[in-house]
Amino acid sequence: MKRKNKTNNIDYKKELESAAKSMILVHEPDTLIKMIVRNIVRKVKVAHAAILLQYKDSDNYIITVSRGRSGLKIPAGFARVDKDNPLIRFFSRRKYKVILDDGVLTCEEIKKLLKKNIKAGVKTLLKQLLYQMDIFEAVACIPSYFRDDLLGILLLGKKNDGRKFNREELDFLVALASDVSMAIRNAQLFKELEQELDKKRRLFIHTTIALAAAIEAKDRYTHGHTARVTNLSLEIARKLSQRNKKSLDKKFLDDLHVASLLHDIGKIGIPENILNKNGPLNDEEKKCMQQHPMVGVNILQHIKELENCILGVKYHHERYDGTGYPEGLKGKEIPLIASIISVADAFDAMTTDRPYRRCLNKLEAVREIRQVSGKQFDPEIAQVFIQIHKEGKI
Amino acid sequence: MAKLLIVDDEVDVREFAANFFRKRKIEVTAVASGEEAVDLIEAQKPNLILLDIKMAGIDGVETLRRIRQKDKHIKVIMVTGRKPEEGGAFEDCRKLGISGYIHKPLELDELEKIVLKEISQK
Repeated sequence: MKRKNKTNNIDYKKELESAAKSMILVHEPDTLIKMIVRNIVRKVKVAHAAILLQYKDSDNYIITVSRGRSGLKIPAGFARVDKDNPLIRFFSRRKYKVILDDGVLTCEEIKKLLKKNIKAGVKTLLKQLLYQMDIFEAVACIPSYFRDDLLGILLLGKKNDGRKFNREELDFLVALASDVSMAIRNAQLFKELEQELDKKRRLFIHTTIALAAAIEAKDRYTHGHTARVTNLSLEIARKLSQRNKKSLDKKFLDDLHVASLLHDIGKIGIPENILNKNGPLNDEEKKCMQQHPMVGVNILQHIKELENCILGVKYHHERYDGTGYPEGLKGKEIPLIASIISVADAFDAMTTDRPYRRCLNKLEAVREIRQVSGKQFDPEIAQVFIQIHKEGKI
Repeated sequence: MAKLLIVDDEVDVREFAANFFRKRKIEVTAVASGEEAVDLIEAQKPNLILLDIKMAGIDGVETLRRIRQKDKHIKVIMVTGRKPEEGGAFEDCRKLGISGYIHKPLELDELEKIVLKEISQK
């Protein structure tokens, strides 16, 4: 008998601490709730447990998760209760708090109250509550609030050993429920924040695309060039991180995305007669054209957040052997972001018709890139590019 | 004992609904497809059918149509997710003849009431 007591004895303080820890780690509301309910069923040993959770966009509360070995298991999203349901009415109205002084509503308590001399209205409500709890096969309900808002209700089935919930268990569940509501609200806010950030990110990318389109409006030979260079650059980066088995971080990919969209932005500052000249450029015109990376830097320099992207804009015409412009950087001095754009940019230029020269076909262009690998291009990037071509992705 | 036939392709829903009504002293058969339901009705003669609209294979509307070819009077309650595009399906079901319509997520007390009411009225 003594041993049995010992195994049933759970260190609730420790349980709460570990629950709190997982709440910090998990930012996905659904996963979090599932974890918590599963834990309750296991630790407190109840037939089943379920959470009715408020849905933000409606007045409904929906069974989000329901777990149990022997008891009823309601499929997620199958059942709802509306805000006029007695359970919701009871827990939303603080005037019934007297009945709920310890934060738990049990069938036992309701039956006791019904025997007392209470107002007819309250009696009706209590009977309705009993019926609702019976439907969900719950013997105890624990509400979960955030400020004054009823976030959800934890529904608990019978304990497996047939005993009543003891004070310690109930205190644990009440504390857990209040932690849970906080965690759920946090998780929901986190999700909203992520969606908001995502919206901003999309707005930013679309603004960048609009800016890039401004270049193409001016330079009629480069129609579609920006989009192609961007796609190819991202493909190279993905392949590169696969090969090196360490992935380039998301920040790098985001920067590369923006940098390749904006790599030619400086062409806005180049006179149209040079940009659209129907023939090869003379030395002076070439010199002018070679200004475009620095013009781009000047346009973007005040945007602090674009610091890394600007490296791509600035150095995408550098050459591996140090004969490029604007600074004549050599080898690995050239930032990776620029080395990638450089290959994508050159390939697209070679495979596009110009009025004064016919374009190369893809195979010829790839051959050309292989030939000048180590001279014009970083050999590592050139190799990755060739690999992508072999796989038929170009 | 009144007989209820549950038709739903989700196993969790079948298990839950079957348990729920067995506890309410109803004889329950649960099947996973419209075909099985159509095959069963002559032998089983259920008093009421709970029929899910959205199912893999033949859907609830088609199942209802085939049931009606065999039996014009058997009571059927349609169960469905509340999607606006199912407005048309609802019209089809009404023309074929149904006793009611309940949408998921549903209220368990409403489910209990509507089923108990329909199944007790012969």
